[in-house]
Amino acid sequence: MSVCCFVVDDFQYFQDEGHTTTKEPSTRDASFFCLARCGTIRNDTKGILNMIQVQNLSKIFRKPIRGKGLVGMLATLFSRKYTEIRAVDDVSFDIMEGEIVGYIGSNGAGKSTTIKMMCGILTPTSGKVLIDDKEPYLKRRIVAKDIGVVFGQKSQLWWDIPLIESFKVLKEVYQVSDSDYEERIQFLSSVLGVDEFMNQPVRTLSLGQRMRADLAASMLHNPKILFLDEPTIGMDVLVKDKIRTAIHALNAKYHTTVVLTTHDMADIENLCSRIIMIEKGKIIYDGPLGNIKRRFGNIKTLTLTIPPSVDPNEVKPFSEDVMMELDEDHKDKVMLKFDADKVVLEHIIQYSFSQYHAIDMKITDISIEDVVKKILAQQEEEHE
Amino acid sequence: MRYVKLYLTCIKRSMMSRLEYKKDSIISILSFLISNACSLGSIFFILQAIPSLKGYTPAEVGFFYGFSMLPIALDHLFSDEFWLVAYRRVQLGDMDRHFLRPVPVIFQMFAETFQPDGFGEIIVGVTMITICGLNLQTSVSFGAIFVLIIGAIFGAIIITSFKIALSSLAFIFKKSGPLLQIVYNFTIYAKYPIAIYPQAIRFILIFILPFGLFISLPVDTLLYGSYNPYLLSLIIVGAAIAFFALATLIWTLCARRYESTGS
Amino acid sequence: MSRLRKYKPFARASAIDVMAYRFNIITWAIVTVAEVACLIFLWLAVYQSSEGGIDSSINGFTYKEMIVYVVLTTIFGFVTFNDDTVWFINRDIRQGTIGNFLIKPISYRGKFIASNIGAFLMMSLVFGIPLYAAGLGVLIGIGYLPVASIWDFIAHFLLFLVASVLACLLNGAISYIFGILCFYTTAAWGLNALKTTVIAFLSGTLLPIAFFPNIFREIVSYMPFAGMSQNPILILMMKYDYLECGKVILISFGWWVLLELIGKLLFNHAIKIVTVQGG
Repeated sequence: MSVCCFVVDDFQYFQDEGHTTTKEPSTRDASFFCLARCGTIRNDTKGILNMIQVQNLSKIFRKPIRGKGLVGMLATLFSRKYTEIRAVDDVSFDIMEGEIVGYIGSNGAGKSTTIKMMCGILTPTSGKVLIDDKEPYLKRRIVAKDIGVVFGQKSQLWWDIPLIESFKVLKEVYQVSDSDYEERIQFLSSVLGVDEFMNQPVRTLSLGQRMRADLAASMLHNPKILFLDEPTIGMDVLVKDKIRTAIHALNAKYHTTVVLTTHDMADIENLCSRIIMIEKGKIIYDGPLGNIKRRFGNIKTLTLTIPPSVDPNEVKPFSEDVMMELDEDHKDKVMLKFDADKVVLEHIIQYSFSQYHAIDMKITDISIEDVVKKILAQQEEEHE
Repeated sequence: MRYVKLYLTCIKRSMMSRLEYKKDSIISILSFLISNACSLGSIFFILQAIPSLKGYTPAEVGFFYGFSMLPIALDHLFSDEFWLVAYRRVQLGDMDRHFLRPVPVIFQMFAETFQPDGFGEIIVGVTMITICGLNLQTSVSFGAIFVLIIGAIFGAIIITSFKIALSSLAFIFKKSGPLLQIVYNFTIYAKYPIAIYPQAIRFILIFILPFGLFISLPVDTLLYGSYNPYLLSLIIVGAAIAFFALATLIWTLCARRYESTGS
Repeated sequence: MSRLRKYKPFARASAIDVMAYRFNIITWAIVTVAEVACLIFLWLAVYQSSEGGIDSSINGFTYKEMIVYVVLTTIFGFVTFNDDTVWFINRDIRQGTIGNFLIKPISYRGKFIASNIGAFLMMSLVFGIPLYAAGLGVLIGIGYLPVASIWDFIAHFLLFLVASVLACLLNGAISYIFGILCFYTTAAWGLNALKTTVIAFLSGTLLPIAFFPNIFREIVSYMPFAGMSQNPILILMMKYDYLECGKVILISFGWWVLLELIGKLLFNHAIKIVTVQGG
């Protein structure tokens, strides 16, 4: 508990430095900040800039309820009922200059909504965001110079013209000087390999190439902060790796602060010194990935394909540390979940081949959805 | 100066996109040319049946018709993107990238598309003016030419102002295309001399939707010297500035309401 | 009959679409009223300027008849021409879904005919009946459309319905041909605009074909376009006797068959390009 108190003090200190009203974190928040701050703040000195401040941020969407069919359509014309969706619910955190933060959660948890508020293209229902002490949704054009944004689905490049032409337009848009532009293009070519397809129209690029191109485009003006929404979604392993290396490289070279959302545990392991986890609009975890691993163990899933001759119900899992799950839809699949730090992988594989006569196997890391589930379950326990 | 350079860069970009589809651009320009030729044909056939239209000879009516195309075509060349804003882009939340750039969004909309389809209208318009102009029985004064040029250019600015103001309503109502369509369609009234309309409509065409102000009155000045060309020019320029200022103000106020889509 | 049943879903879907699509009906109404008003002012000026004054007849039309013509043509166009055929074909080509139709036991053209008829029926029921009732009621009431014998009017009205269906089919067939052209170009927007204006001009929607100069008029009146707007309206206005009615309906029918044939040939040619290219 003593650590906790220290961290809460620390938190307030940083709030003060940002010249904003201090807020007493609730005790429940405090326990999370304990986890959070142990990892990230310990090395920070007083000179480091508080790049992003998010304070009690909430966003409520109102959606009209539409009737179905012809009658419903007519009815909507006359009376409109709304459902309120609390996409982001009282979220607070700070991000320091040069941090790479993974902002993660399951689908519809409120990730994109938060990111969009941080970029200034959504206005908060309550609370506020400060990007380098400016509220982005009020001072969009000023903040725009400081941020680079890549939304995985929507490209900011022009579809029909060679990539280099898009870059030339962006150079003018962001007023990048010739020398800076040259230097940046060189750097981006070396880490992202964009020179390979510089003269191709964007529509002819593969998904991976387009993401690299988009990433490069968002870096041309050397933003202080880079927001990446699902930068590796749908890519193959090699491309993912290239993108991760590039993010590391530019973070090292320009000290760029990076906030990224992702579904990929490997992204987080390779990139993020810190993760902020959100579920149903609320932050459920904020801290280094290591802490999660410490809390839940190094969980891996071994999925086995077994021959029809074996009845999975009769076979026992390897030991008490291994959880066995069956797949209702695929009768030939058995999933074994275990902590790789406690159970030797080699042993469990040998066991399964001899006992299940497994014909195929796949090892996967814990998914983000599983982590979310575990954290929520643990919170419930703590409550009771 | 910065914006001039930026605009030229963007327009070059837009033209390059168009050139990727050369054949389609030609078909597109051609179809504009043909559809204009069709409506021209109609008016020509009507005029053949009568000696004059409320005192205007066929050549004079043709001159009207051709001249009315110029401000419409100029607007068409430069501000086509606003149609997409009004109909689709705001509704789809497809304006994000513009709001993330350190340049005024309204400027980006002008820079996003240069629409060469407008050339189809300009070709038809200029041809009409030339043919009909040579058949006019009036002596042409410098002042009249001056007011015509002012009318075409600043008339285009007035039309664009309506487009800006009405498309920006999409930021509040998600879609303002139909409303823009309605107002824009009133340009059909600009094709004929306002003398053929009842008093109330003439009033609207001069003071509210001022197509008459920058089309009819300058042409009347050319044909019959009805108005002082320089005073009329001054009024047209003043009106254009006022409309444009008001439109940008409305745009600025409405654009603040832009929200990306959730998730 | 059972062979036709498989096209019913397309007709139905299209009928529902029409409702959704026409939700911007208020827009249409305002734009149209403004346009019709503009035309009426123009015609008023034209007739006032003519040698015989407002009561004279120009190319066989009096001022009153011209107003009736303008109003009925507008209603007719709204109810009869509801096709997004060009857009749909373009979409099928761009998304590659056209391949699905080549393996289904449904004719691609048949699908569109079903859609067109479905939309036409829906529009006629929902908007056609009230609009024609109001339009004809007012025009007859104020004496712009004189009705000498009620039976004569009913007979012409029935012939008008036949001509309407043919107009709808003709429009569908021409749209289909323009749609197939999307195989050769991506300028669907330009093509559709071209189609709309050419039809509007040559079908007499902009002004009656009688106003066209001599030879041109003769040619145009034997083209398929006349049957798409002018002829049905002149039937309804009882400007044609029964013999002429039969003649124009027959010409339209002949053209429809011919256009379907052209569409078929064009489709076969276009589809060959796709399969060869593997698009």
